[in-house]
Amino acid sequence: MNAVQRREAPSSAQAVAELLASCDRAGEQVQVAGGGTLSGMGYPPERLDVTLSTAALTGIVANERADLVIAAQGGTTIRDIVNLLATQSQFVPFDAPRAQYATVGGTLAAGWLGPRRHRYGRVRDYLIGSTIVLADGTIAKAGGMVVKNVAGYDMSRLYVGSFGTLGVLVQANFKTIPRPPHARLFLAPLPEGTRDRACGQLAALRVAPAAAFWVDGFNAIDGEDGDEGRVVVLLEGSDALLERATLELRSALGRAGVPQTHVIDAGAHEGFERVVDAYIACLGERSVTYRLYPPPDAATGSALRLHEALREFGLRGETIVDVMNGDVVLRVSDLDPHALGAKIEQFDDALHAVEPAAQVVAGEHPNRPYLRVWGVPPASIERMRELKTRFDPNRTLNPGCFIGGI
Amino acid sequence: MPRKNTALPNHSAAVIVKRPPKAMAMLRERLVEALGSDAVKTAPEDLAVYAFDAYTDGGLPSAVVLPSSTRDVSAIVKIARDCGEPIVARGAGTGLCGGAVPLEGGIVVSFARMNRVIELDERNRRVRVQPGLINLALSREVANLGLFYAPDPSSQQISTIGGNIATNAGGPHCLSYGTTINHVLGLEIVDAVGEVFETSIDAAGYDLTAAFVGSEGTLGIVTSAWVRLMALPESVRVWVAAFDDIESASEAVSAIIAAGILPTALEMMDAVITHAVEAAFHAGYPTDAAAVLLIENAGFHEDVEASESEIHALVSANGARSWRSARTKAERDVLWAGRKSAAGATGRIAPNYYTQDVCVPRSRLPRALHAVGDAARENGITVGNVFHAGDGNLHPLLMYDKRDRKQVAAVIETGNQILQSAIDLGGTISGEHGIGWEKREAMTRVYSTADLAVMARVRDVFDPIRMLNPEKIFPAGARCPEVIPS
Ligand SMILES: Cc1cc2nc3c(=O)[nH]c(=O)nc-3n(C[C@H](O)[C@H](O)[C@H](O)COP(=O)(O)OP(=O)(O)OC[C@H]3O[C@@H](n4cnc5c(N)ncnc54)[C@H](O)[C@@H]3O)c2cc1C
Repeated sequence: MNAVQRREAPSSAQAVAELLASCDRAGEQVQVAGGGTLSGMGYPPERLDVTLSTAALTGIVANERADLVIAAQGGTTIRDIVNLLATQSQFVPFDAPRAQYATVGGTLAAGWLGPRRHRYGRVRDYLIGSTIVLADGTIAKAGGMVVKNVAGYDMSRLYVGSFGTLGVLVQANFKTIPRPPHARLFLAPLPEGTRDRACGQLAALRVAPAAAFWVDGFNAIDGEDGDEGRVVVLLEGSDALLERATLELRSALGRAGVPQTHVIDAGAHEGFERVVDAYIACLGERSVTYRLYPPPDAATGSALRLHEALREFGLRGETIVDVMNGDVVLRVSDLDPHALGAKIEQFDDALHAVEPAAQVVAGEHPNRPYLRVWGVPPASIERMRELKTRFDPNRTLNPGCFIGGI
Repeated sequence: MPRKNTALPNHSAAVIVKRPPKAMAMLRERLVEALGSDAVKTAPEDLAVYAFDAYTDGGLPSAVVLPSSTRDVSAIVKIARDCGEPIVARGAGTGLCGGAVPLEGGIVVSFARMNRVIELDERNRRVRVQPGLINLALSREVANLGLFYAPDPSSQQISTIGGNIATNAGGPHCLSYGTTINHVLGLEIVDAVGEVFETSIDAAGYDLTAAFVGSEGTLGIVTSAWVRLMALPESVRVWVAAFDDIESASEAVSAIIAAGILPTALEMMDAVITHAVEAAFHAGYPTDAAAVLLIENAGFHEDVEASESEIHALVSANGARSWRSARTKAERDVLWAGRKSAAGATGRIAPNYYTQDVCVPRSRLPRALHAVGDAARENGITVGNVFHAGDGNLHPLLMYDKRDRKQVAAVIETGNQILQSAIDLGGTISGEHGIGWEKREAMTRVYSTADLAVMARVRDVFDPIRMLNPEKIFPAGARCPEVIPS
């Protein structure tokens, strides 16, 4: 740890610009910190002189409810935006874990992908404008407050998923959509023999669920720790649509041999959020959580293979399969952090041999920095490095945190 | 296909590039060697066909090539580099901002022969296509699987997926489905040195796909794309609401959006347009209304049905004087065909037209339309409005005769005033057609020097020597940020 390390929380774009420019000149390296919910992603910074917290950059900048657009400062929590939008029957499908802490800037910078994206689209596709501060203190805007805009490159989307290595997002403008009036959550046990069929049935429903998961482990989700897996399905829409979707879902699960389902109307979203929170729920130093993105039709197969592989390593594996999008969340753990440490790097190699894109999204195990936390870099990595060099030649921002050591 | 959206004469920046005959012969020789003679055109009469898009004429390119593969494209780029020729990628040439127009000689790369579906992944609802594939051909090809490709520019019968990607094209149904960028999953790109690389929105690292979609051929050449397919909706309804004045129609649009209803499409046409459409196609629009809204809602039966009374109530409250529901698919199709061919139908009004494309916050639509009317009146220009109202994306069609220099000047002035009024209302200078050559100087009206310099950093990564579609998007002098007028 660096003795002169300090923490700053600038409260305006201008103040961010001044801070960054002075760090950049002085050769100080800066880590950008939002709500810390995704601190399990990425590599630790190579060196750290200043932590730039966005905690003082909060608040809604503009809420044009009749236009269905909203703008917020980078440090605003997702919960604050979602709650405000809910009062005007609108939403943006952020689906960020721990939304009460997660910030707009952090969620965008991490490129967070939520489970409802197959239905409503990615958060990046709601981002219509942004203000960013580059390492040299340049304040640059892109896009605006209109829902269609092709004036120049789509810089805002380029910042999504850039992990704070191109600049600090100080403002984000979103278009919103009408909030579905009703939600219903289904929970059901998913005995081993029913999994493949049930997931297949879910993916083929005519009225596609807003989200559907096969959860194995993660006992926090519904408070029981059975041996069986569980299916969690979120339906959203009008009353009439939910009626039809419910019938369809019941008979589909019945066909797959799923015994009984439990329906939650009040608190459906809270139940859904518990699953999303589990994506990054870690067991301190005893776990490492990966996220993989196979195509939907390969997801269950890949989850089953992962369980198999973990058994060989003698590690415990818990999975969440997002049936609609195909992602798999895999929490690898051992009761003893040392035992995990002894095996995790080999497991990481074995995993990436079959799933090169697997990323680490959570975990406090000390060996985490030695894993391929961003997966195997794609062939375009050199171009990405070049992009970083153009934006931040001195490597002032989050140095070494991103893919390929960017 | 509708006639050309006419070039504004003397409006083109084309420089006649006289290259030494020996150099031209050498260029031809190398291209022929790499691609075969039937893929290379250098005769002036052949080149002329590639000198314009639907906005303007440029100069003649030095050569036109028709690659058949990614490898061909890569070879072309290397030859172009050696010979110091810029490259202009070209789809169908329906662009409305001079994007595909060569301005200083150069090699036009036409994707007419790279127009196939490469790989269809039905189960995961995605397809990999070549850039020259025509937009509508893709939807037709997958329709029997119950799927479609959502972005639907009105030019979809001839415009290409590559051109759509390069311009981030929109269309009537983008109100609910989003523009092209929401549907591109990954790209294969040939860069400015002829190297091939791929992008994917699911790969870790920077979202290069996002940088390339909408970059108008200035960052790289798209040689294939994975795009998303969607399931055809189980239920579709189309309604036409008629109004006695254009203000009420635009108030109705704002009211629908403000009520939190996002139909699948929400289009407006004024009387100038409906008259032209009816005269040409008999699509079924009322001709005694000052403006009509064409509204579509698609999705699940229950929701589509319920939305009818809600939307009907809102338009009635805002002064609609009639409301018609298309009863059959045939009726719906003909209404849409009329809408999508509207621009072409205006030939009866004036020999030429110019399409402006601006986007404003949706609640300001009434004011924006007012400003359009004022500008046209002030300059004595007939204007027809046909546009994506639900998105606040205006397309005033300015009618004129290009042989009349006064009218040309008046059209330019009107277009300019409309642009400025959109900016003043908090809008942007292009909602979907792009910047190209036409609006490059207007970029400084919405972006600061710093904003543009940041975009230029991206260009520096992929095309530092500015050989890919130079003279587009960035205002002249944008390479050195200091000289951009702000
Ligand atoms: C009647 C009419 C209606 C229209 N309606 C709409 C509409 O509703 N919505 C809308 O958005 N637009 C509309 N347009 C504009 C135009 O059709 C779109 O911009 C379309 O996307 C252009 O496609 P194209 O294949 O014709 O491309 P071109 O005009 O050939 O090229 C457009 C741009 O893309 C670049 N480009 C082309 N192919 C590639 C490639 N493979 N790699 C890299 N760059 C490439 C070119 O260099 C150029 O900058 C309309 C035009 C007309 C004439």
